[in-house]
Amino acid sequence: MMVLRTLQRSPLHGYALAQQIKRSSKDLLQIEEGSLYPALQRMLKDGWLKAHWDVSPTGRRIRVYRITAAGARHLDKEVSSFERMLEGVRFVLDGNQSPERV
Amino acid sequence: MNFIPQIFQRRKIDRDVADEIESHIEEKAAEFVAQGMTSSAALLAARREFGNVALTAQQSREVWRWAPLEELLADLRYAARQYRRAPAFAAAAIATLALGIGANTAVFSVVNAVVLRPLPFPEADRLVSVASLDTRGGAPHPDQLSYPEFFALRRQNKVFEHIVCYRDTAMALSGAGEAVNIPAQIVSWDLLEALRVRPVAGRGFRPEEEAASEHVVILGYRLWQKKFAADPNIAGRTISLNREPYTVVGVAPRDFAFPFDNPAVQLWTTLAIDARSATQQAMTDQAGSRLLEAFGRLRPGVTIQRAKSQLDSVAAELAHQDPDSYGAVASTWITPAIDSVIGDTRRPVLILLGAVGLVLLIACANVANLLLARTAEREREFAVRASIGAGRARIVRQLFTESFSLAIAGSCAGVLLAIACVHAVARLAAGSIPRLEQASVDAPVLAFSIALAFLTTVLFSLAPAMRLARIELISPLKEAARGNAATGGRFCGALVVVQIALGLVLLSGAGLLASSFTHLLHRDVGFRTDGLLTFSVGMPTELTRGTAHLPFESRVLDRLRALPGVTSAAAAVPMPLAGHQIMMSFNIEERPSGPSNRPISDMALVTPEYFLTVGIPLQEGRLFTERDDGKSEPVLVVNRAFADKFFPGERVLGKRIDPGGTADDVRTGMREIVGVVGNARQDALGAAPDAIYYYAEKQLPWCCLQYAVRTSGSVPALQSSIHAVVAQIDPDAPVYKMHPMEEMLSQALSAPRFQTLLLGAFAAIALLLTAVGLYGVLAYAVLSRTREIGIRIALGANPSAVLRMVLRRAGILVVSGIAIGATGAAAGNRLIRTIVYADDMPQSLLLFTACVVLVIAATAAALIPARRAASVDPIRALRND
Repeated sequence: MMVLRTLQRSPLHGYALAQQIKRSSKDLLQIEEGSLYPALQRMLKDGWLKAHWDVSPTGRRIRVYRITAAGARHLDKEVSSFERMLEGVRFVLDGNQSPERV
Repeated sequence: MNFIPQIFQRRKIDRDVADEIESHIEEKAAEFVAQGMTSSAALLAARREFGNVALTAQQSREVWRWAPLEELLADLRYAARQYRRAPAFAAAAIATLALGIGANTAVFSVVNAVVLRPLPFPEADRLVSVASLDTRGGAPHPDQLSYPEFFALRRQNKVFEHIVCYRDTAMALSGAGEAVNIPAQIVSWDLLEALRVRPVAGRGFRPEEEAASEHVVILGYRLWQKKFAADPNIAGRTISLNREPYTVVGVAPRDFAFPFDNPAVQLWTTLAIDARSATQQAMTDQAGSRLLEAFGRLRPGVTIQRAKSQLDSVAAELAHQDPDSYGAVASTWITPAIDSVIGDTRRPVLILLGAVGLVLLIACANVANLLLARTAEREREFAVRASIGAGRARIVRQLFTESFSLAIAGSCAGVLLAIACVHAVARLAAGSIPRLEQASVDAPVLAFSIALAFLTTVLFSLAPAMRLARIELISPLKEAARGNAATGGRFCGALVVVQIALGLVLLSGAGLLASSFTHLLHRDVGFRTDGLLTFSVGMPTELTRGTAHLPFESRVLDRLRALPGVTSAAAAVPMPLAGHQIMMSFNIEERPSGPSNRPISDMALVTPEYFLTVGIPLQEGRLFTERDDGKSEPVLVVNRAFADKFFPGERVLGKRIDPGGTADDVRTGMREIVGVVGNARQDALGAAPDAIYYYAEKQLPWCCLQYAVRTSGSVPALQSSIHAVVAQIDPDAPVYKMHPMEEMLSQALSAPRFQTLLLGAFAAIALLLTAVGLYGVLAYAVLSRTREIGIRIALGANPSAVLRMVLRRAGILVVSGIAIGATGAAAGNRLIRTIVYADDMPQSLLLFTACVVLVIAATAAALIPARRAASVDPIRALRND
């Protein structure tokens, strides 16, 4: 979800993507950078991403990922369900304010 | 989903991931360098931050995998590598399996064609055979119908869409090249309708074409092609059959065979021919001429039981109206039509399938043995795989994959073998086993052999897999060398015992069939088959009425006798070995009984020289002479079996019986038995000779007799002169069914010969495989004990003691196998005895012979490894490690 959201803003290559996620989460999420790649492959396979080889401004050969329409749709679904879940968690944490009790 | 293109893109994907990870780490390292690290430290740090590079790469790759298939492919590749490394093992295993699966496939293709395949007509499961049930003479048995009976069943039918009668005949076709005699059927009009067969040209018969004045015929496809150049306008053409003009109304389709098991029949005509046939009374009106077969197509939803009860009520009513004619056949017999085609062959064919199944079991045991030995050798390899993380289940699965690839290879080779063999097998008994010639390796047969491949995989890899699952996989790594040959040896030993037991079952079964067959071959048929030739002549219809054929017949016989080398010639019907063609009941003067309780036996019509020509000896009284004609005293000659059966312990000469056969100018009533002759077999396979009585032809001038000629010269030369003789008398009379009697006998024995040869071949294969199995087990045991044997010899053991040691082991295996097998063999032989025609060999002798053969083969197989053990060089054996 994070990967998709990040890529929705702009297409990136693996390293940049890892840095971007780290930065945008304000270093709260310390993930092993390696674990990114199996996830990317899974999303490639499911057709949510597309990848192509490119050359970076620093002259390095990089593989740039961009989100597809299917990926965007999936992201929307994921985000809304995640938000619903968060809402649920908040209700539970806030105790009495759950809708049933009101 | 789209995993197939993905498989091909795999390399690219793998490379992409690897490049990408590499690039990631480099970029990170570059960043660390920019922060002031040295490049090597930066690379290390970058890798640390990244995590497990290899694992990440693998996990990324695995995303793309379709795991089960991929692993299977990997296993298969691995298996292929294994077998390339051990080609002798692979070849031995595949050859063994090919033999087993090939033999099974070939036999199954026979079973499929003969027993399983339905009749080739739409909704063939609704076709049933109809007969009357004859309660005379012991157990009720199906009997043919008479026309009045058939007409009654048809008129009052409520259960069939159609009910059709048919009977064998032959018609002489002239005016289309050389006169030929063509097997034909006389049928009721709705034959094609009942079978739902559309003619390829013209139409089927119409109901009004059963009238005596009609001359219509349907041609077989082959006849149409061969004799009428596939003339598309054949319908409506007039052709000459039995020298009468017949109108062709249609042509049957190419594969049409009716009767179901007789593709030779190429002409069908209506029962009109029988309505105008007879001398005194048309056959269609005779209650006593029980010559008709019948079949029907049940209406949808009607069961055989319901059909039977309806037909039974008709038969019972007939019996009530005319008890003399129908008293003994007051009920009916209905079976699925396919059963009447398969007849008695179902059991022998299934027994053969069972036998060949045993061969497969033996083959499996052999391969299991090979595999066990191989698994033991590969224990270290498995242990290494286990120690670097392969699960036990994974290793067992690998083993099964390897086995399965063996089985598939064996199965492919086996199918090729079966394709090569099946025609040879079919030729062995063509004609004596219905539909055998249709045997081929088709889709169901292929499915069967694939199923066999699965089954054999399970069977032969079960033992090695169990062993793998049981043993401690790590221990072989610690041990220096082969440690536990003992446990494997026990397993292999058990398999060999099973093989020996199964082999004994097959051997003794084959022995039983072979002894029965030799008995059939050598037993006295009661007449002399050598130098004897029989043939038939197609007579024009006008000569078949009354006594019109007699002058023709005596002219033929006179000319035959004048041929060089011919010692005598006669006419008769039916000839010996022709089967039970004419059964007629008779009344005994001393013990008269009502028409429906009279005794019945075979009968034949003969000319006076018949007994001399065929070689049947006179035992009492006299033979027929030329003076035994329509005007003299009515007489009969009987055979010894007849005298013993109906007049046991009495003097049969002078007894009088009345068979009631009638014809023009024939004195009916009691006939005196004037002679007793030896038993000539009517049926080559019967256990005991059949009772038969003979009429002098002139006292019952039924048409038409077959001819028998005895020559002291060459039989083939005689054949062409016979054609010339008949052509001189009447160029349009076809000569047919010309066979040396030796050939008739050989043909009559073809079914038992087929069974004997096949079972013999299976037993031979079984023996070979068992011997190879025993050899393999002993050889492996000797090999894995080379060191121990070397030490023994080094310590002073006598080589002959070593030899004895190995032979003792073989002896224990063989004796246990025989002990177990003897029980199975007894059961197997009880089963086989149900299909055996005649046997005179006691069970114990058979079993003993089979054991001796087995022991000889086993000794030969055991001697090779035993001698090798005895000649082990201690120095080399100890240096082996």
